[in-house]
Amino acid sequence: MNELGNWLLEFTDNPLHVVCVALVVFVLGLIFVWFDLVAFYTKLIVQSFRRNIVRSTLTSLAIMVMVLVVTLVWSVLNLLDRVTSEKSKDFKAIITERWQIPSQMPYSYVSGLARGGARSETDLVPMDSMSWTFYGGTIDPVNRTRENIIFFFAMDPAKMITILRDEKGNPLRDTDGKILFSTMMDDLDQATEAELLDLDRACREMELDPSKVVLGYDKLESLKKKVGERISVTSLNNYKGVDLDVEIIGMFPRGRYDSSAIINVKYILNGLDAWKQKNGKPHPMAEKCLNLMWLKVPDTQAFRQIAEQVEESPEFKSPAVKVETASNGIANFLDGYKDFLWAMRWLLVPAILATMVLVIANAISISVRERRTEMAVLKVLGFSPSQIMILILGEAIFIGVVSGLLSSTIAYVAINARGGLKFPIAFFPTFLIPLEALSWGLIVGGMTSLLGSILPAWSARSVKVAEVFAKTT
Amino acid sequence: MIEIIELILTVASLFLGLAFVVAVILALTGRFERWWSQLLYPMIGLHYATVMWSAFFQLKLEAIDLLWACPVFFVFLMLLYVLVVSVPISIGLLGILILQLLGILKRVPFQYNLRNLLVRWKTNSLTAVAFILVVALLTVMLAFVNGMYELTSKSGIAENVFVLADGATDELFSNLGYGDIKEIALQPGVARDENNEPLVSWELYCVASQPILYRTCPKCKEVVPIARFGRQLEQHGSPPCSGSGLKITDSRDRRLLQVRGIEDPLKTSMVHNMQLKAGTWFSQAGVQSLSDSDSAEQAIQAVIGDGLSRELGPDAGKRALEVGDTFDLGPRKWMVVGILNSSGTTYDSEIWAKFQLVGQQFGKPTYTTAVLRSTDVETARTLADYLKKEYKKPAVMAQLETAYFASLNTTNQQFLIGIVVVMLIMAIGSAFGVMNTMFAAIAQRTKDIGVLRILGYTRWQVLTSFFMEALLLAVVGGGIGILLGSLSHGLTATSNIASGPGGGKSVVIKLVVDQYVLMTGAGFSLFMGCVGGLIPALSAIRLKPLESLR
Repeated sequence: MNELGNWLLEFTDNPLHVVCVALVVFVLGLIFVWFDLVAFYTKLIVQSFRRNIVRSTLTSLAIMVMVLVVTLVWSVLNLLDRVTSEKSKDFKAIITERWQIPSQMPYSYVSGLARGGARSETDLVPMDSMSWTFYGGTIDPVNRTRENIIFFFAMDPAKMITILRDEKGNPLRDTDGKILFSTMMDDLDQATEAELLDLDRACREMELDPSKVVLGYDKLESLKKKVGERISVTSLNNYKGVDLDVEIIGMFPRGRYDSSAIINVKYILNGLDAWKQKNGKPHPMAEKCLNLMWLKVPDTQAFRQIAEQVEESPEFKSPAVKVETASNGIANFLDGYKDFLWAMRWLLVPAILATMVLVIANAISISVRERRTEMAVLKVLGFSPSQIMILILGEAIFIGVVSGLLSSTIAYVAINARGGLKFPIAFFPTFLIPLEALSWGLIVGGMTSLLGSILPAWSARSVKVAEVFAKTT
Repeated sequence: MIEIIELILTVASLFLGLAFVVAVILALTGRFERWWSQLLYPMIGLHYATVMWSAFFQLKLEAIDLLWACPVFFVFLMLLYVLVVSVPISIGLLGILILQLLGILKRVPFQYNLRNLLVRWKTNSLTAVAFILVVALLTVMLAFVNGMYELTSKSGIAENVFVLADGATDELFSNLGYGDIKEIALQPGVARDENNEPLVSWELYCVASQPILYRTCPKCKEVVPIARFGRQLEQHGSPPCSGSGLKITDSRDRRLLQVRGIEDPLKTSMVHNMQLKAGTWFSQAGVQSLSDSDSAEQAIQAVIGDGLSRELGPDAGKRALEVGDTFDLGPRKWMVVGILNSSGTTYDSEIWAKFQLVGQQFGKPTYTTAVLRSTDVETARTLADYLKKEYKKPAVMAQLETAYFASLNTTNQQFLIGIVVVMLIMAIGSAFGVMNTMFAAIAQRTKDIGVLRILGYTRWQVLTSFFMEALLLAVVGGGIGILLGSLSHGLTATSNIASGPGGGKSVVIKLVVDQYVLMTGAGFSLFMGCVGGLIPALSAIRLKPLESLR
């Protein structure tokens, strides 16, 4: 019940949702009041649809394939918009090296940054933190290919997921029976209970034995490995001489982390120490092995204060660091693709929508031309011009809405079942089709059909009975 | 051999295309005599068969890549359809038309179809506009990918050997500081300059983060600072400008700039064949005072790419930065002393400065890259092989510079696959639209078909005539679409090119519409016409003359 309440609160946060619900209620109200009339028109519309099955099917197929493209494009843009839009509470800050990428900071920064640079009791401390060290290696150093290269996020496994447990070790649950857990990773709340428990088990094993790792589905596929197998990873370049011999003990839930790999950072740090003992000097990466620090902050005010604490702290001056919101950091990283994304949003989608309008306008105008006699008969039977216009508009909208909804539903089911749309942009390898795509199909199909059928419907409205029957033999 | 055939076909298709346009104009304005109508349709068939074959020679290379890269066979099947169905149909039609021209076969009633297209101009126009939109969009998108390919192909020099640290997938992750790397300059095969010095460019490549601290106020057009967190314009002007406190809608608050530290600018310019468009190379010291005062701040001298000068210009309230202008990067000021004549290469988006100063700024004391100029291409290949397989002091990753830039095409391939898939889906959608039009045309003209059959036209002649009607619609719509899409030629866009995850380069791309893009557009419109026209045309031949007249 509580969950439903939260969902309703979140849903009504968006004014568009409220408007849509109001519209649906309004339409349902109209249907209820004029049920007989609506049923009559619906019957006529369905009959019109069945009159020329070939044309209706072709128009429907055209709408379906075009809605499919719109759904794919908007799914990509939707995720990118979501991750780059600023939140007002419970968001994350990213700390990276100030002046260059890839960011390379000394690992000694971790404890200070985890405190948010707090130096006095009045300073704010973040709610939680997570450090990332990037390690690139290959399982086949002789023939390196994209498939056998693996990039690890080296981190504290407890930050990936920690299921809260009682004294007996049983998972704690909320009032709705859902497992309670803490995580610094995004989107893990979408995983099933079994997946969460398995990931938690893997993380606890990784803490006890740093040579154990967790990989995503796609990475396992490309490496041709399974959970339970061991792999030897040779460093690509930066961590030269720090090679890994690890056991795969778990897999991420399908989706966002399909191409990811995680290892306990202690394994890398131990490797750097061993390199120093062997070579008598620190490894070139010894003072550069912290790539990124995540902080969880409660609100914008806290973010600003912590950002000032960190950026002004003398602790973090060599090299200097910068603090930004996660959404801002990702937006800046995606800047290289801004023209491409602009073209997808403002060239491709409008062109598809315009093509849909044209295809529908064409089909409906052919239909109207062929049925002028029928329109004239309807007029003789007492139908007003407006009623004839509604009939034509209704037929077009019926085709558009049904085809659009069908297309987006197929896209949602089929593409998500295959693990999402694979279109790598920056560090987003796959894009899932969101549930709201179903409403896109419905709205896009309905609106383009309405726009495309206005002129033909107007022409049907002005059919002159005398002229039509004069030509009829 | 293939290149010669391709060239002949390309030139032939362009000439025939021109002749075709003239013939269509004459046909539409009703000025042609009877023999023109005989010439018009063979032209269409010949033109498109030629175009398809030229596109095939170009596409076959990409088709192989697509087969490797694409997870589904959808694209392959579509290409197969184009090659197995569309091309033979076009060639078959061409053969029929030639036979008809020679008088061996009876005429097909094309005049009738042409008149019908003009009579039903409203419906046909809607279909043609859909064609125009799809093909214009395809042309623009292919021009974008083509621009990316052109950029990577122009940036490499065949005689250069590109050396990174062993295991590095990109310059950004390379570190040549593990041994006495300078020895590789002494390898046999490395060319020498007039002073008998090895022609080697030692480089430190890094990507710098530059905060965007100023924006042009839309109200007063002055360049004003922005607030640190508020993402709005600071208060400015006296009396205060109404643009003070204005929200910044552009989400970006910093940009990533590519900085290349080099030791000897003259040698590097020789290795990369890069000339200055304006100004001079940086001095031996690599710095200069910002004013005449002894205590004045020392700015780092920088030579920047032409594209980058335009990118940074608006920060200073200019169209482009010029020699003598300064900009902030890291804790220091940088002064532009030269502009590279780098248009169309990846260096167009780079800053070149003295190696030691760049190293100090970004905490990278070692080289990331060495580019060796060899005496000729064959020597370069031998040298690259030797360095990659035999040289171990330290081990390096050596390859031809052209191969390195070709490896950056991974992003291009991803974009190309995405574009082809999207456009194929759109083409199928549009083909359904054509089918609708043609089915309606046939349904309305059932009696006409009956009359034609009674007049002695055979089934295949009716099929050919209706099929050509759909093709003509596709040709006109597609042709206009290609023309509109071609207007994007020369436009610039920012994008990333990379050889894999991470790394990569942010580059300024010039959209390129060449004959292959035009041919692919033409092939696509033909494909849509074929798919949309064939099934309705087949339904037309199933009609029985007497039944259709009833």
